[in-house]
Amino acid sequence: MSKEAPAPRENMGAPVPRFDARLKVTGGATYPADIPVADLAYGVLVTSLVARGSLAQLHTDKAATVPGFLGLFRHGDMAGTQPPKFGVAASSIGPLHGDRIFHDGQIIALVVAETYEAAMEAASLVTAEYDEERPSAGFDTQGTETTPGAGASPLFGEDVHAGDFDAAYAAAPVKIDEHYSTPTQHHNPIELFSTTAAWRGDQLTIYEPTQNVTGWKTELSRQLGIDPNRVRVISPYVGGAFGSKGPMTARTAIVAVAARRLGRPVRCVVTRMQAYGTQTYRAETRHRVRIGAERGGHITAFGHEGWEVTSRPDAYVVGGTIATGRLYAYGSVATHVDLVHADRNTPGYMRSPPETPYVYALENAMDEMAVALAMDPIEFRRVNEPTREPIGGKPFSSRSLLACYDEASKAFGWSDRESAVGSMRDGDWMIGMGCATAVYPTNIAPCAARVQLMADGHARVQCGCHEIGTGIRTVAGQMAAERLGVELTKVSVEMGDSALPPAPVSGGSNSTASVCSAVMKACDAIRNRLFLAVSGEGAPLAGAANSGMSLGNGQVIAADGRTVTLADAFATLQTVLIEEYAEFTPKGASPQALKKLYAGQPEFRGGERDDAVKYAFGAELVEVRIHTLTREIRIPRIVGAFAAGRIMNPRTARSQLMGGMIWGIGSALQEETEVDPRNARYVNKDLQDYLVPVNADIGDVQVILVPETDPQVNPAGVKGLGELGNVGTPAAVASAVYHATGIRVRDLPIRLDNLLT
Amino acid sequence: MSSAPIRNEIRFLLNGREVTVRDVAPDATLLDWLRLDRSMRGTKEGCAEGDCGACTVLVGKLTAGGLVYESVNACIRFLGSLDGCHVVTIEHVQPVGGDLHPVQKAMIDFHGSQCGFCTPGFVMSLYGLWMKDANPSDATIEKALQGNLCRCTGYEAIMRAARAISDYGKGASDPLAVERAAVIEKLTKLRDGARVEVGSGKARLVVPADVDDFAAVLEAEPKATIVAGSTDVGLWVTKHMRDISPVVFIGHLEGLRRISEKDGVITIGAGVTYTEAFDLLSQRIPALGELINRIGGEQVRNMGTIGGNIANGSPIGDTPPPFIALGATLTLRKGAERRTIPLEEFFIAYGKQDRQPGEFVEAVHVPVPAKDSRFAVYKISKRRDEDITAALGAFHLTLAADGTVAQIRIAYGGMAATPKRAAAVEAVLTGKPWTEVTVEAALEAYAQDFTPLTDMRASAEYRMLAARNLLRRFFAETQGGSEPIQVSRHQAA
Repeated sequence: MSKEAPAPRENMGAPVPRFDARLKVTGGATYPADIPVADLAYGVLVTSLVARGSLAQLHTDKAATVPGFLGLFRHGDMAGTQPPKFGVAASSIGPLHGDRIFHDGQIIALVVAETYEAAMEAASLVTAEYDEERPSAGFDTQGTETTPGAGASPLFGEDVHAGDFDAAYAAAPVKIDEHYSTPTQHHNPIELFSTTAAWRGDQLTIYEPTQNVTGWKTELSRQLGIDPNRVRVISPYVGGAFGSKGPMTARTAIVAVAARRLGRPVRCVVTRMQAYGTQTYRAETRHRVRIGAERGGHITAFGHEGWEVTSRPDAYVVGGTIATGRLYAYGSVATHVDLVHADRNTPGYMRSPPETPYVYALENAMDEMAVALAMDPIEFRRVNEPTREPIGGKPFSSRSLLACYDEASKAFGWSDRESAVGSMRDGDWMIGMGCATAVYPTNIAPCAARVQLMADGHARVQCGCHEIGTGIRTVAGQMAAERLGVELTKVSVEMGDSALPPAPVSGGSNSTASVCSAVMKACDAIRNRLFLAVSGEGAPLAGAANSGMSLGNGQVIAADGRTVTLADAFATLQTVLIEEYAEFTPKGASPQALKKLYAGQPEFRGGERDDAVKYAFGAELVEVRIHTLTREIRIPRIVGAFAAGRIMNPRTARSQLMGGMIWGIGSALQEETEVDPRNARYVNKDLQDYLVPVNADIGDVQVILVPETDPQVNPAGVKGLGELGNVGTPAAVASAVYHATGIRVRDLPIRLDNLLT
Repeated sequence: MSSAPIRNEIRFLLNGREVTVRDVAPDATLLDWLRLDRSMRGTKEGCAEGDCGACTVLVGKLTAGGLVYESVNACIRFLGSLDGCHVVTIEHVQPVGGDLHPVQKAMIDFHGSQCGFCTPGFVMSLYGLWMKDANPSDATIEKALQGNLCRCTGYEAIMRAARAISDYGKGASDPLAVERAAVIEKLTKLRDGARVEVGSGKARLVVPADVDDFAAVLEAEPKATIVAGSTDVGLWVTKHMRDISPVVFIGHLEGLRRISEKDGVITIGAGVTYTEAFDLLSQRIPALGELINRIGGEQVRNMGTIGGNIANGSPIGDTPPPFIALGATLTLRKGAERRTIPLEEFFIAYGKQDRQPGEFVEAVHVPVPAKDSRFAVYKISKRRDEDITAALGAFHLTLAADGTVAQIRIAYGGMAATPKRAAAVEAVLTGKPWTEVTVEAALEAYAQDFTPLTDMRASAEYRMLAARNLLRRFFAETQGGSEPIQVSRHQAA
């Protein structure tokens, strides 16, 4: 075991290095665009230069003269296929299904050539004429349409309410009423988006980085009008996703159609710039938060209104009021979400989709309220710690928020914080210390897995889940090793292929819970078969009670201490391999849940959907330093303490939470996709101008894993945490900036020009 | 005329073997060639513009100081520029006897890899650093990794891995150290003194044999695109699809890669990279060292040349303003003829420089500021590291014995269509007592000197305000002893 992994505490697994670490440091990990395909042709997208209108003319003559040009696919060429269905698909906009332009950067053609260079050259020679209309870019531009969020999406049924907010707010002796906003952000995984489509007869294989092989298989076959069993989606490694590779974009079907028409495989790697308009993004949001409280700090009224930008045709709802309305003991709650439709591409899931912007607004408001009450901000949260969530009155399956604050405060040295604003200085540096709560629902979905155990102690796990960097391959292997009592080095794990047993989309931090529960179920079936075999009459452990048996060190162990090697146990069954296929469904799942899993429409449970509210929590404490002269903002240290049920692997868990907090720092101080309000166009469409943190922007990051046991959440006892770490960070930074300067920044990102006085 | 023999192929070492490429386009990048032609896909593409570092490889070249390996961005490095070099990709950093390289071991143990896509680039950058400095400071590590982005944001873990590399192995047993002598021998053999000419018509590249040969080539083809480090021209190709043929590669020309000081003037050959210039410049003019550390990332500094930064005439190039403030001159050469002009006169208008067809920038001469003068340069960008300048101001002040301004030279980038002197501001200040009153009175003159643009990096108003405040800052620094006002993470932490 390496000296550099955090030591496991109670209810935590071994901090083993990730399975794929060796492949990754040697360049041997194969991402979809790395997969060799014979006779490959190359596709390059041509995208719209206007945001609203229709395509009048596409001039392609010059492109066709480029040596190596093979074909051009445009409006009309998708005839015979169905347009995408928003949901599994990123948008209902089928760009080549009509001549309508819905947003800047929309695909208007795909050019295919013998080489990448030729395709690029040909694509650059395509020109278009448009019947252009004046676009709306988003908030504060003319021509937008506002519709209610409630009921607009299956994920957002209604605005949550509790009690009589108006009366309670009116009566509250201390209150605030403030507005907050968060900008458009793009995921910008370092791996470029790509699609490779290869037909063999009527069998289609898609190589594409995805978080949802099963869902894509189903949706793509629907679009193409072919049997889902003829489509296979392969995505062995994914170079960062963060939600961007969850929904399938229109490109996938276009490349598939091109490959079919040309009779050869086509690979289309999207340029970094084109990705801004052809993939999804985090919608910009605005918030109004009202909090009323008694002088002692008890909140009596919480109101949260949100406005979110989306595309013209699609009702993508961020909808974080589901969580903010349940976070504290509010007394009364009123929430409302509105969608603002503009001439933009459809937004989508981005790391902690609902919580990141909404909890930012809530936690910033909580900090303001603590100031209004002259209370320590952590104490203010302690006072409002609920025993039951306020909306449905349900208990929490487990809630360790205060334990997280306690551990984080101690590690951070919160007691050294001087409460007065602007009171902490170090030379030319103003010091601020701030805090915020992190919260993320524990989602879980049905999942299937196949596990094989061999007489020699080797095991093999197959599951159509996705290794997007989280470490799911490793923890699924750990689960199998643990349940089957074999060494982890003897376990292999296959993922990222729709030919494997189906898993839900790797989103909403459900994978560890869902996959581990399925793997556990398959392993337990293997155990039962072995236990039965070895305890039968005349068998090596005859008479031993199955309930007391276990597997360990390559042996079956009876409660009375008798053991038999796996090899001998298998011999009693006259086999060398036991295989089990398990279909896990979470408690409360509908009778159709499994069918929906296979159809790529997994039904989620957990969160606030069950008898108890299932959330993971964390506390983040941050120190900022702001230079008195230049107002440059630095974050020398951040401490986060998180509790998320059973921690399968402290090393991968720490890594996810650390990465999340650094994401949060980037979100707090740097990230913003600028939109030109005149033409609804993204401006900073590259890593040169879309700023994300570099090494030197990050100081000391401390992650504390707080022990928590929650048998209620799921059989594995696991809460997801990949999307927990970045929730709260921007608010904690805003809190610290206020503490240092007395300036309250309510609009992200916080830049030094906000701090000039 | 040059009498160099002519060769029609590019030759270099790729990892363990020598390769010869006959069919190479002038704008073919190393990354596309590796991934598409050679099917070596361990090197990744993330941005195609030298920002993310996923494509980082090492390029070894023979220099006056021996064989030197540097990290570079394969995505904007042209294949034609690699003649006579040793290209080392992640595939070469493979286990010897089953054992991983120390960099790789450290990255695994400290969990420096999540999705893994940026990882080969980080490994190569850390490898390049470790070869030069086995026990680097945090600041050195951060500098070496400025040009590598990790979007899973494993920075803290990567830093810990970087600090620990030497715990996992010693440099002497490193594969590149072991094969060093053999590589030097092979690279020496590749140096045949020939001019390389590949292709024809719209797809033609030339690698001149030496500087005289370069002058001859350029006289014959005055419209050729001169490519030194390709950190800018690379983007013309990958982002703007520009036709750059014919291309003349000059990054290898020893005659342009000399930097030396004589009689208080530092002469920098046009092919000297930021990295090569760093030691002397930072030692003699420390403010320039600080500035260089904020230009691009390490890979860009390893490739990009100061001559290229000047010659392409960008209004936001970082080196012209401080050089202009220091009174630098520029030598241009055409054939055997040379002329030397004040640097500021080189920049005529946006995209237009005082360079005749067939002429090239040979060297820039930068006077070291006198002991009794004061020099400062300030770069303003949204992100401190690896970001493009919004505005940059350079100030060079000499006071008379009576405390009046004997001479002040002020130059800005990002404030006009070219790097530009603040002549009106200088005129107001000159001869006046160096006081706050004088400085405040001079601020109005900025309106005569500059009418900046609004773009996504800064608004016109912001640029104007910042430009004026930089003069105030310079004044404040001259009042507070000799230390510049600096903001660094290490001071903050």
